[in-house]
Amino acid sequence: MATQTAPAPITRARVISSSRRTLITAILLGLLAIALPFIPPFTGQDYQRYLVVAALVAAEAVAFDFTGGYIDIVNFGFAAFVGLGAYTSALLAVDLGITPWIGMFLGAIVSGFLGLLTGMLTLRLRGIYAAVMAWFIGLALMGLARNLVDVTRGMLGLNVPRLLETSDNLPYYYIILAMLFLTLIVLSLIIRSRFGLAFRAIGQNVQAARASGINPTRFLVINFTVSCAFAGLFGGFYAHYYGILTPDVMAMVHTIEVLTVAYIGGRGSLWGAAIIAFPLTIGVELMRTSLANLPGLHLIFYGVLLMLVMIYQPGGLAGLLRRAGAWLDSRKPTQVKAEA
Amino acid sequence: MTAATNLRQVPLLRRYLTFTWITLGLAAVILVLSAFNSPSLLVNTLVSGGMWAMMAGGLALVFGVMNIPNFAHGELFMLGSLTASLVYGPIRELTLSSKSDVLKWLGPFPGILVACAVGFVAGIILEGSVFRQLRKRSRESWVMNTFLLTAGVSVIMQNTDMLVFGNFPRGISRYWDFKPINILGVTLAVDRLMVFVIAMVVIAAFALFLQKTRTGRAMRAVSMDETGAQMAGISLNGVYRLTLGLSSALAALAGASLLWLLPATPTVGQAPLLVAWYVVILAGLGNVQGAIIGGFLVAMIQQFTAYYVSLDWVDVVPTAFIILVLLFKPSGLFGSEVKGVWEQ
Repeated sequence: MATQTAPAPITRARVISSSRRTLITAILLGLLAIALPFIPPFTGQDYQRYLVVAALVAAEAVAFDFTGGYIDIVNFGFAAFVGLGAYTSALLAVDLGITPWIGMFLGAIVSGFLGLLTGMLTLRLRGIYAAVMAWFIGLALMGLARNLVDVTRGMLGLNVPRLLETSDNLPYYYIILAMLFLTLIVLSLIIRSRFGLAFRAIGQNVQAARASGINPTRFLVINFTVSCAFAGLFGGFYAHYYGILTPDVMAMVHTIEVLTVAYIGGRGSLWGAAIIAFPLTIGVELMRTSLANLPGLHLIFYGVLLMLVMIYQPGGLAGLLRRAGAWLDSRKPTQVKAEA
Repeated sequence: MTAATNLRQVPLLRRYLTFTWITLGLAAVILVLSAFNSPSLLVNTLVSGGMWAMMAGGLALVFGVMNIPNFAHGELFMLGSLTASLVYGPIRELTLSSKSDVLKWLGPFPGILVACAVGFVAGIILEGSVFRQLRKRSRESWVMNTFLLTAGVSVIMQNTDMLVFGNFPRGISRYWDFKPINILGVTLAVDRLMVFVIAMVVIAAFALFLQKTRTGRAMRAVSMDETGAQMAGISLNGVYRLTLGLSSALAALAGASLLWLLPATPTVGQAPLLVAWYVVILAGLGNVQGAIIGGFLVAMIQQFTAYYVSLDWVDVVPTAFIILVLLFKPSGLFGSEVKGVWEQ
């Protein structure tokens, strides 16, 4: 990935070394994430709860970045798709007694299907229509969850069976971490396939993509559907982790949190969002608990950070790291020369 | 909208049998019929329609001229209603104690005007500190980026308001403390009437400004062709500043005028923002005249939903209607495809 921005001509040897470095970094970071609950500040239950939240936000941000970063369409109803998956899985478990392990995937299918419908309706138009329409649909879904009191118990909240019997946070952390890794792997495989090539082509210039024989609408709809399905999957985890589900899960604030993490991580990288989610979410959770008398401060922090990154550092963390990688690459040949 | 480009060749019947005209005609018929049934529906539609038209007109203007889908438009509404409640509070004490009717009539205006001015200044600050900075650096995928930026602005303004002024409603029961007026058998609170008058005057002034003045022409020129406008000697930055200022002033004015209906809370702007967006999507992005008509249309849909179904479904029904419009007429009811120069 780092090779794309490298200024010097790419030789085969360099490509291998740089992609190997990426792989090693990824494995190291993955191991760090696995070991994190045993490193001192994170051994307590409180911190482990933050870790679960961070991993959940990371997974959501990765799914968000799949549309936001590649086809340049901001899903403003992202939280509602999460919520739809959550409610589907929760209602299946409560009313029909279907185990959450299956319900989560059914929730993903339902969310993906709604994403498909939304996409087919709006993605033939300009991107802004999809963004605004997703917002409308999100609000309508939230309205439904509030008003269909017979089904969802409205604002009272739905009591949902948890995934596991235990109240310990550690097993949940490993479940969501596994989901995060799986998401990262699946989505990066899609991005590396010819689908990903089409997504990036469309995201950069629709006309040029169309001229090269890509049907933009089809690829846009596929992308949007996949992202929404993953959102629904994480919604299922959300429902069965917290054990209580209110329409607030679909609130705009949640979408803003996810999109801030995704954009600060760096659009169009997937892993940038996954990395930055941990420090950012844990920091914000700490801020929220320690400054409980100043509600909303963490959201102001998110808003300011989002705007600063959008204006001054559009590449986000991933952009910074890529530049650092390119700098490392550009230094290597000169060293070789000096030795020779 | 191929019909509009070539009116003469289209038979008269088919010209008016389009989706747009059928919808508008149906709306008019339903409105008239219901007016006999319950006149309050018509009155409420006109009152809230005027305000939504002001909100949506500003939103459409900013999108048309600057290509910014403003998600923070509701926060400017909130700013207006907050300012009005802060200014009007002390003035109310004065006017209540005085017996003079003139003072009572004039009492609400300082608050509304100050709110308008604060909105204008806020818009100019926003343009200079946010959008201009981004424009200087990058115009790549401008529409999506500015949408995100305005979402950030919205979150910041909402939560700052909550931190500084607290999360409780600052409302008033009414602006004008007079007996309700009776028009054609409908009793009408003076506030409703005044709000309608304010909306009509402002919309008329706004339309005149856009159509007749040099500055208004410059704004329309920029919305049509930026490069061309620049070549004709129009200062783009000036036009941008004025556009966002005007649109923000309109939103703040709407917020201030509706203070008796929607008390100032940090999230008071959310519902008007949503309505303004409904209207803009219905009417076609960036179409200011369409947005003004659409404001009344959406107000009607909402009032009918609230009257015949329930207040809880006010958000759901317009969404369904918009889905219909997008299915049959994707470019909006008054479809003009405004395309920015920076878009592909």
